[in-house]
Amino acid sequence: MKQFAYLVPRSLDEAISFHEAHGDRAKYVAGGTDVLVKIKEGKILPDYLISLKHILGQDRPLLNQETGELYIGSFVTHRMIEKSAIVRIHYPILHDAIRNIGSVQIRNVATIGGNLVNAVPSADGAIPLITLDATANIQGPKGERSVDLARFFLGPGLCDLERSEILIEIVVPPLLLRTGSAYIKFGRREAMELPMLGVGVLLSLGESSVTCVKARICLGVAAPTPIRALEAEAFLVGKPIDGGTLEKAGKIAAKESRVRDSIRGVAWYRREMVGVLVKRMGLKCMERIKKLAQ
Amino acid sequence: MGKMISFALNGNKMAVEVKDHWTLLHLLREELGLLGTKEGCGSGECGACTVIVDGMAVNSCLFPGLEIAEKDVVTIEGLTSPDGTLHPLQKSFVENGGIQCGYCTPGMIMSAKALLDESPNATEEEIKHSLAGNICRCTGYVQIIDSIKSISEGGVEEVHVVAWKNKEKDE
Amino acid sequence: MQDLKAVGKRIPKIDAVDKATGRVEYIQDIKLAGMLHGKILYSKYPHARIVNIDTSKAKQLTGVRAILTGKDIPEIKFGVYKDNRPLKTGKVRSYRDEVAAVAAIDPEIAQEALSLIKVTYEALPGIFDPEAAMKEDAPLVHEEHKTNILKMPWKLHYGDVETAKKETAYMVENRFSTTWVTHCCLGTSGAIAQFDNTNNLTIYTNTQIPSLAQKDFLSALKAMGLRDKRVRVIKPCIGGGFGSKLDTYAYEYLSILLAFHTRKPVKIVFGREEEFFATSTRQPTIMDVAQGCDKNGKLLFRDISMVLDNGAYTSWGATTPSVMMMPITSLYRVPNVRYEAMCVYTNNTYSQAMRGYGNPQATFAIESSMDMLAETSGFDPMELRRINANQAGDVSPQDFQITTCGLDQCIDEVEKRLGKKTPKEKGVGVGFASLIHVGGGARVYKSDGCGTIIKMDDYGKINLFTGATDMGQGADNMVAQIVAEELGLDVADVHVIHSDTDVCPWDVGAHASRTTFVAGNSALGAAKKIKARIFDMASKQLEAPPEILVMANRMVMVKEDPKKRLEIGKLLRKFHFSTNGEMLMAEYFYDPENENLGRDFKGNTSMTYTFGTHGARVKVDEETGKVQILKYVAAHDIGRAINPILLEGQVYGGVMMGIGYALTEQIIHEKGEIMNPNFRDYKILTIKDVVPIEAPVFETFDKDGPYGAKGIGEPGCVPTAPAIANAIYDAIGVRIKDLPITPERVLTAIKAKKKLES
Repeated sequence: MKQFAYLVPRSLDEAISFHEAHGDRAKYVAGGTDVLVKIKEGKILPDYLISLKHILGQDRPLLNQETGELYIGSFVTHRMIEKSAIVRIHYPILHDAIRNIGSVQIRNVATIGGNLVNAVPSADGAIPLITLDATANIQGPKGERSVDLARFFLGPGLCDLERSEILIEIVVPPLLLRTGSAYIKFGRREAMELPMLGVGVLLSLGESSVTCVKARICLGVAAPTPIRALEAEAFLVGKPIDGGTLEKAGKIAAKESRVRDSIRGVAWYRREMVGVLVKRMGLKCMERIKKLAQ
Repeated sequence: MGKMISFALNGNKMAVEVKDHWTLLHLLREELGLLGTKEGCGSGECGACTVIVDGMAVNSCLFPGLEIAEKDVVTIEGLTSPDGTLHPLQKSFVENGGIQCGYCTPGMIMSAKALLDESPNATEEEIKHSLAGNICRCTGYVQIIDSIKSISEGGVEEVHVVAWKNKEKDE
Repeated sequence: MQDLKAVGKRIPKIDAVDKATGRVEYIQDIKLAGMLHGKILYSKYPHARIVNIDTSKAKQLTGVRAILTGKDIPEIKFGVYKDNRPLKTGKVRSYRDEVAAVAAIDPEIAQEALSLIKVTYEALPGIFDPEAAMKEDAPLVHEEHKTNILKMPWKLHYGDVETAKKETAYMVENRFSTTWVTHCCLGTSGAIAQFDNTNNLTIYTNTQIPSLAQKDFLSALKAMGLRDKRVRVIKPCIGGGFGSKLDTYAYEYLSILLAFHTRKPVKIVFGREEEFFATSTRQPTIMDVAQGCDKNGKLLFRDISMVLDNGAYTSWGATTPSVMMMPITSLYRVPNVRYEAMCVYTNNTYSQAMRGYGNPQATFAIESSMDMLAETSGFDPMELRRINANQAGDVSPQDFQITTCGLDQCIDEVEKRLGKKTPKEKGVGVGFASLIHVGGGARVYKSDGCGTIIKMDDYGKINLFTGATDMGQGADNMVAQIVAEELGLDVADVHVIHSDTDVCPWDVGAHASRTTFVAGNSALGAAKKIKARIFDMASKQLEAPPEILVMANRMVMVKEDPKKRLEIGKLLRKFHFSTNGEMLMAEYFYDPENENLGRDFKGNTSMTYTFGTHGARVKVDEETGKVQILKYVAAHDIGRAINPILLEGQVYGGVMMGIGYALTEQIIHEKGEIMNPNFRDYKILTIKDVVPIEAPVFETFDKDGPYGAKGIGEPGCVPTAPAIANAIYDAIGVRIKDLPITPERVLTAIKAKKKLES
């Protein structure tokens, strides 16, 4: 394996200054489960790894009781999110996704920030967070900025991070009342999958608990980046939600998808599954709304 | 480039110079001579290299060696008592057929240990969820599940096979 | 023998404690003084002329000790057809072709050296489809062979198929296909070669055939000009076999050549990606199957032809038709059989043995076709199988003598456990498939034998040197239990030493589910010799004729008067430390009385045959095409369970491997390149994919088996795919004829069916 120096900054400022000092020869690393694989495979050859593991104050998902916002530090491990009761109860879509990323061994060290900045089309972490309208907070040499997570992904392996910038935090806005959300990772076996398709759906219902007031549909592996099925979302808003409407929404979402053939699955099948799985996740949202009401 | 770090390995305090690019697996196998931890894929997809760091199962093949500074590392070598008494999980794997070729075994046992340390009464579903990152080609996993269940559920052993006989011909 | 103390007992694997504590040494763990590390440079093209290899830069890298290319080595030919070389000259024929090899002081330097070797290629048109490769104008993989079709005439015709076709009341005819799958041994391949000062070779290698590998390596030494040398093959603990280690591979020869050039031990160990693309797969097939029965459901004929993608070189994959013949001629009673198989060179990877050795492919076609015949003829699928089930005393058209047969009972048991088909839930169905496999050795070579040496010490403890190769299945337990039983000892009294050709007697190898039967009988034979000697000694001491003596609890005693007894150790010491002292040792070579197949492929290849029936209850998601297995039952007639824990382990492991074969596993090739050489994209099943499996065992006590046992290594994965395919048909009425049964294939079939119906 390529040799590198392993730098351990104690603050974000220090991390950023290390990166500025070494430029393209440096790479940030948190859990390292992706970065080390890439180094071993010779896909990247950094001279410096800058560890973000020891920057404090980033250790679990936190719910701001006043604003209702959920804060997830970028260096929170998948395992912490998987075990978080707040996430399990209030953001089941995130729980659905996170608990099936890699293995326990991977989730114990891999961070949500790492999953996001990897920017793979299949990013299981990104789909539910985009579905939840999350924002990414970024810190860099020029200070802090925020970006809508839906606009964070620019292409395979490419995200909206300037040189030396660090994704430091994800903020999920408060949920509307009567909201249900669900994610499915669709693969060929029950674990250790990179999905053939990832589908996240969020539905919020009006006071009658029938009419949809907000819909979010986000698809993974359906395009070079995670995408929202905007037409399908628009179709659902204002309509009473049942199997029939969801089936139609699924078909619209399938049309919106830009799936392609790869060794992991063929386009026609993926497109068809978008339809099936949007419907199924929609139904699961409804179940969850009902369950919350009880 | 290297740094002196101290950590506890199987309960023993150590101070070792670790090069920046070493993985924990490299440190254990190539530098410290602990060969019980195996490499099956080198990319976190098989779990053969699983060890426990501060109570958590990790793939040592992807764990930066320097990150064990001031931490507790437990490997398969640390499970057996000094007098040779096997850890209950080791004993159970031995007795329930959880081991065939044995290459996945150390990782499998370490994953199981991390699980049972946290949830001593883990259900079959939790066992499957927690060991999903440990690949085994020999056993079909059935007797591995048996091995863990027989401990986690207070020794309840599920008999999968009913052998029956026909015309006893041998004298 | 009713009251057995060791045989039939759930005795933990002898080496399990060492494995559970991380103490056993695999090839990865072995380090020799001064050892160098070897790496192999593979082809960048599936088919190309090698114009030039420039190693000058690599040679200058500090730490590099040797670089070899095809030009630097003698003509060492290996493989079944002797068409392979450790390093290629002239041209490369597949992506896994070895072009150069490096030895360096550490693996990183060796790897870096590879990147400095510059190979100039001139690309040639490749051929990747075996049927296209059979055409006259197809590019030739081996020019000197003149054609891509191997000159291996797999062709038999028993009875008269054409006449039977005319007489048949019902007939089905279909094409099936299977693709590449691979062993996925958790411990990757590797070897360490070392020469002594006079050029005798010691090689530590992951092999299932120490004795045959020794022969291969001796030929290699001869080609290197080293005549009359010794080769010692030591097989360390191996991380799984499943047939992958039945041949010798280029990397083994390269470790030998590099060791010879450097005068140092050289270790080559594969990484995971290398393990996927540079080791051999199960043989892919295209299978045309016709079967017919009369109006009473009696099978009249079976007519099968196959095309096998041989890949670029010839290993055991090309000979799998010799085993496919077994189910084709002898699974169920079928009087008229015709079979033809052609192996065709392509620029794909080449195949090897893999658990079942052709049987899983052939049985997938036969048993799928049986269900289709049942539907056409109106018989219940299980009824059709019962009508045609093999019976003890049968001689099959291939001259297989069925000595014991529990097929009827297996069919009944599986049906009972899975329940009758109706009434059923939507999308749920059950399906069945049976198997026949060799269970009493398989005479592939001139000898199907295995040797055993027993040495008993002054304390009544045994060192047992067996030819058997343990690769995790528990061969060592099996022989220890048999010997302990025979000699009235504890299993712990028997120390088994195996897998070292300097120490252990000859054995043909761990293949064909033969070890329990052949090595078991060999151990039993040696134990009987020891026992006779002990009785002889004890007879003098106890003043009783040997015929009335027995051994139990580490004693030898008079059967009807157990108070008249001697502790074995004491007896042995007495004879050892006396005038004209004696030591107790015995050797026994067991070579079963099975027959090589003749020119017409007839011959009783095995002393006995293992039978079984599998059944699956599945639920098919008709929107996604996904198949879920709700329950799986695998019943086998295994003669006798020597050790139920290990037996169950073979069945569970086989079934899960079979389910992977049926549903998820495939090596994806694109123009000869393997696209998924990792566990992420090669879908070996995980613990979360485990389905409820029941593995009932039916004991028929075979007269020739050790304590009545038959082999069970392979059967667990033989009829899995057809059982599942048949269950899918039962569930939703679509027939999948190609493996793996992916959701895409199921959904496509569902759509086609709907289109047809509307």
